[in-house]
Amino acid sequence: MKTNIIMKVMNIIFWIVFIGLCIETGALLVSLFVTLFINSNGAEDTYMGLDLLDLYNFNVEHYIGVASFSITLSALKAYLAYLVIKLFMKFDLNYPFNEKTASVITQMSHYALSIGVVAIIAENYANRIMRQGLTLQIDWGAEQFLFFAGIIYIIALVFKKGVEIQSENELTI
Amino acid sequence: MAKRKMSLNELSEKVGLTLSNLSILKTGKAKAVRFSTLEAICEALECQPGDILEFVE
Repeated sequence: MKTNIIMKVMNIIFWIVFIGLCIETGALLVSLFVTLFINSNGAEDTYMGLDLLDLYNFNVEHYIGVASFSITLSALKAYLAYLVIKLFMKFDLNYPFNEKTASVITQMSHYALSIGVVAIIAENYANRIMRQGLTLQIDWGAEQFLFFAGIIYIIALVFKKGVEIQSENELTI
Repeated sequence: MAKRKMSLNELSEKVGLTLSNLSILKTGKAKAVRFSTLEAICEALECQPGDILEFVE
């Protein structure tokens, strides 16, 4: 009963996270479009106070690069949140170890790893720009996602073993 | 079962197993058999485990 309530609350939280990340991705995309084609002042507040105007004035190509990394990461995070929602949809407390759940968890670990790798590349790119005298206050969160990917991968392996044990248990008469 | 002239339904009632589980046993899809199940089947069919189990290479 208690677990059911926790699962429902978590499901609602992840829906909110997913919608929030979709809005962030959309806002960043629109902001990039507005800055490039309508008004360059759009770079001043791309999303939630992220100021990239100095970078835009310094070099438009670098601005496009940083904005593209932000959009990619935000989209990947949104997809990861969607995978968590999908996990909640497929998860059955009476029959927890099944192939579908195990495959969604494995997929989640792959996406978390991709986010970590993209974030590392973005971080290095931003550091290279900052060496030219600019300040970029963006937290890419690469290490957290790599750590997260490792943990989810271990959980996915445990789940796979759980699926095997459960199917063996079902075929024990 | 044929020697004892017993149907699958009858055996299922005597042993206390569902028809689907008995069918899993009969078709060889089962991965393991509990001693209690084996004992119940042997008791119902009045036979030894060796009469119902066979090693096939």
